[in-house]
Amino acid sequence: QSVSSLQRIAGLDFIPGLQPVLSLSKMDETLAVYQQILTRLPPRNVVQILNDLENLRDLLYLLAVSKGCPFPHSSGLKTLESLDGVLEASRYSMEVVTLSRLQASLQDMLQQLDLGPRC
Amino acid sequence: MGITDDGNLKISWSSPTLTPFPLQYQVKYSENSTAIMREVDEIVSATSLLVDSVLPGSSYEVQVRGKRLDGPGAWSDWSTPHFYTIQDVLYFPPKILTSVGSNVSFHCIYKNENKLVSSKKIVWWMNLAEKIPQSQYSVVSDRVSKVTFCNLNATKPRGKFTYDAVYCCSEHECHHRYAELYVIDVNVNISCETDGYLTKMTCRWSTNSIQSLVGSTLQLRYHRRSLYCSDIPSIHPVSEPKDCHLQKDGFYECVFQPIFLLSGYTMWIRINHSLGSLDSPPTCVLPDSVVKPLPPPSVKAEMTVNIGLLKISWEKPIFPENNLQFQIRYGLSGKEVQWKMYEVYDAKAKSASLPVPDLCAAYAVQVRCKRLDGLGYWSNWSNPAYTVVMDIKVPTRGPEFWRIINGDMTKKEKNVTLLWKPLMKNDSLCSVRRYVINHQTSRNGTWAQDVGNHTRFTFLWTEPAHTVTILAVNSVGVSVANFNLTLSWHMSKVHIVQSFSAYPLNSSCVILSWMLSPSEYKLMYFIVEWRTPNEDNEIKWLRIPSSVKKYYIHDHFIPIEKYQFSLYPIFVEGVGKPKIINTFIQEDIEKHQNDAGLYIVVLIIISSLVLLLGTLLISHQRMKKLFWEDVPNPKNCSWAQGLNFQKPETFEHLFFKHTDSVTFGPLLLEPETISEDISVDASWKNKDEMAPATVVSLLLATSDLGKRSFCASDQCNGANFSDAEGTEVTCEDESRRQPSVKYAMLVSNSKSSETDEEQGLINSSVSKCFSSKNSPLKDSFSDTSWEIETQAFLILSDQHPKIISPHLTFSEGLDELLKMEGNFPEENHDEKSVYYLGVTSVKKRESDVFLTDASRVLYPFPAHCLFTDIRILRDSCSHLVENNFNLGTSVKKTFVSYMPQFQTCSTQTHKIMENKMCDLTV
Repeated sequence: QSVSSLQRIAGLDFIPGLQPVLSLSKMDETLAVYQQILTRLPPRNVVQILNDLENLRDLLYLLAVSKGCPFPHSSGLKTLESLDGVLEASRYSMEVVTLSRLQASLQDMLQQLDLGPRC
Repeated sequence: MGITDDGNLKISWSSPTLTPFPLQYQVKYSENSTAIMREVDEIVSATSLLVDSVLPGSSYEVQVRGKRLDGPGAWSDWSTPHFYTIQDVLYFPPKILTSVGSNVSFHCIYKNENKLVSSKKIVWWMNLAEKIPQSQYSVVSDRVSKVTFCNLNATKPRGKFTYDAVYCCSEHECHHRYAELYVIDVNVNISCETDGYLTKMTCRWSTNSIQSLVGSTLQLRYHRRSLYCSDIPSIHPVSEPKDCHLQKDGFYECVFQPIFLLSGYTMWIRINHSLGSLDSPPTCVLPDSVVKPLPPPSVKAEMTVNIGLLKISWEKPIFPENNLQFQIRYGLSGKEVQWKMYEVYDAKAKSASLPVPDLCAAYAVQVRCKRLDGLGYWSNWSNPAYTVVMDIKVPTRGPEFWRIINGDMTKKEKNVTLLWKPLMKNDSLCSVRRYVINHQTSRNGTWAQDVGNHTRFTFLWTEPAHTVTILAVNSVGVSVANFNLTLSWHMSKVHIVQSFSAYPLNSSCVILSWMLSPSEYKLMYFIVEWRTPNEDNEIKWLRIPSSVKKYYIHDHFIPIEKYQFSLYPIFVEGVGKPKIINTFIQEDIEKHQNDAGLYIVVLIIISSLVLLLGTLLISHQRMKKLFWEDVPNPKNCSWAQGLNFQKPETFEHLFFKHTDSVTFGPLLLEPETISEDISVDASWKNKDEMAPATVVSLLLATSDLGKRSFCASDQCNGANFSDAEGTEVTCEDESRRQPSVKYAMLVSNSKSSETDEEQGLINSSVSKCFSSKNSPLKDSFSDTSWEIETQAFLILSDQHPKIISPHLTFSEGLDELLKMEGNFPEENHDEKSVYYLGVTSVKKRESDVFLTDASRVLYPFPAHCLFTDIRILRDSCSHLVENNFNLGTSVKKTFVSYMPQFQTCSTQTHKIMENKMCDLTV
């Protein structure tokens, strides 16, 4: 289920959106946040995505190492106070917006990776 | 207690339960061997103690007690003593489980007769059958020897023993104890496949290559590397087991879901056994490289209009993202599609157009894909897509057509019927919706007529020249290339076919040939028309190119029919005058048939001749064998010395020469009885008189020679029966010299006449004078053993004797005689077999009597006739002889084959014969 681009969803700002310039470390951070969020979702639907995100983060790390970038593994958001409350109140919104933004972010990363991102 | 792999004695115990504090233990053991006796106390905190330097044959007594490790406490009581004795041969380790290709070593301490064998003198054997080369030995100490096996092969099970027995021996003696070596082939091939959704990886492996080891279990273990596989897969110390399930095909199947698409899964099979565990060589699988994609979706197939290609289109499956190659298979749709393959290596391609031979057929098409770099597997074939048969192009041509002119040919207005053959798919591409006829005349110009889907059309021909064209129309358009036919009054008189002939090749083919004369008109083609003139069958016709001068017509031609062939030259200006012939098919076929009949008759004649010749040859050989093969040469016999058998007198002399001197003697063969009574009637005066004649009882080779035996040879001259054909046989009373008896006969009173028939034993040739109703035969039969079961015969002499069945049809004269014999005496109403003179083959009982009243044969009884005919009877008359042997004890009737004992006729018999001689005059 894709989210209409005409409407902005309020209250879900902790879910990363599109960013103009992404470094390798920023990409890793974004993926880490998504991992954090997805682990709170029902595992039946997102476990494969979680595995794929882990593979992607490993790839980013490999790429960064190959480029000689210092690349500390990001642990995601330090505090996600509102996450549990939102999940409890708006599970559907949470899932749809998370997956929609993740898809957009991955497409964006794919394009920026082709351009040779910074460390 | 037990021996460790290092050769130490391990004393172990369990700690007492429910102790809240650690314990220390005091171990007390005593060692008793031939070498030493000692007692040792040791305090340990562990629950085991290793005792080194153990020796074979030593015995140990062990006790343990415990105490709190730290702090106050008292020693517990000593445990109960535990005893352990080490065997005379000590192997360490005693058993080894290893995999193929590995290296292992066994150690041994050998004590023989209370003496430790020096390790230098220890030798090793395998399975008590094979001495292990010394190069594999090594000396560890004075007492410890080691043998090493390198690059081991799998153990071949020997019955229930699944291990190799390794023996440590002295030079000439091995102890019965041995070490066990288990070598298992653990090479297991693990293959994995990732599904098209990239969420599941299924791995399969088989245990077929793993030798079953009792008590072992198999387990797939894996280690996931975060990204990709290492160059050389290795067993990682940290691994996870994976549940696998045995499938029906004998494979274990393990499913990884979800998967890390880019992680390297290093997998191996672990064999767990009480002797240890073995791991198969590890293999690393990257799920992304073993993807079996989903089949391409949205596969469509169609025939492109106006282009005429089979166009296949598809879409790329969602996964994987990699570039893909595609395979297309296509074929005529049906139950068993003969597929043709086409490959597309362009990853971006989404369609392909292929030429196909048949544009108007339905094709089935399937597509599959695989990663372009070759990794992974081919997807399944997509669901088949089918083309729809539709018009692809305009018809390639219009139909071929011909005309029939109905009505009076002399009239100017004629009904013309156009006939054409419906276009096939290949020409119509792919269907014809309708036909259109274009007319063109000088007066009316041009007009068209839509005739729908019909294949004939009639119109009125009124003008001198009328050109028609038939067009085929389908959904795409009108045929471009079309045939024209001009009907012209003028051209119908143009004659250019000089000769025209038809030759039947067979019932399905006729050859036509023709010769043309020069013409100023432009010849387009010919039309050949043929039909059976006697019937109203529809004509058949063919268009033939103008360059052809000989043509084969294939049709079903009935041989008995006559056919009329017409050859029409078709000019641009119109249809020319035809050449019409009535072919000679029928005559030719009849000729062929006659020829064939002649051949068959000749063949039958030749076959008959060959058969006849063969029969004659076989008969000749058989006759020859029958009469001469088993007959001994009398010249080789002692009694025949000095005799000339070429002279007939010799036989008379021969028989009488021995009459008195030889009856039964030691030099003679043992006689055999073959007959009891043989009676010869005296001739009667004439056949009308029916006077009773004297019956001569004729006994061959009987012991009672004085009573009933007689030798008939001296009464008969040496007439050759081979010349008997067309002769007359007469039986003549010597005293009266009246040759009134026409037939010779032997009468037998056989109770078992049916049996005689079946056995065919009474095929005797008899020369006998018939008697009247009051013949003494009756008395003779009743008085003698004929009543029992008489089987009589008379031996004839001839190279070609014919032995007549008593139940055969009598010849003319004999029939008369039989009438006279209507009251022939019978015994118990049994049939009396009538034997009459004849010469025939034993096997040819059906032969007619040939010695008729017209014959004139002087019937001989030469000695050599006995040889031949007895030989004939020998085989068939065995039971006859037996019967005669059983006739009675008082009278011994004997008969000796081929021997001149038959000459032992008594004088009495001789006299009888002199008086009652049967004269068979040639």
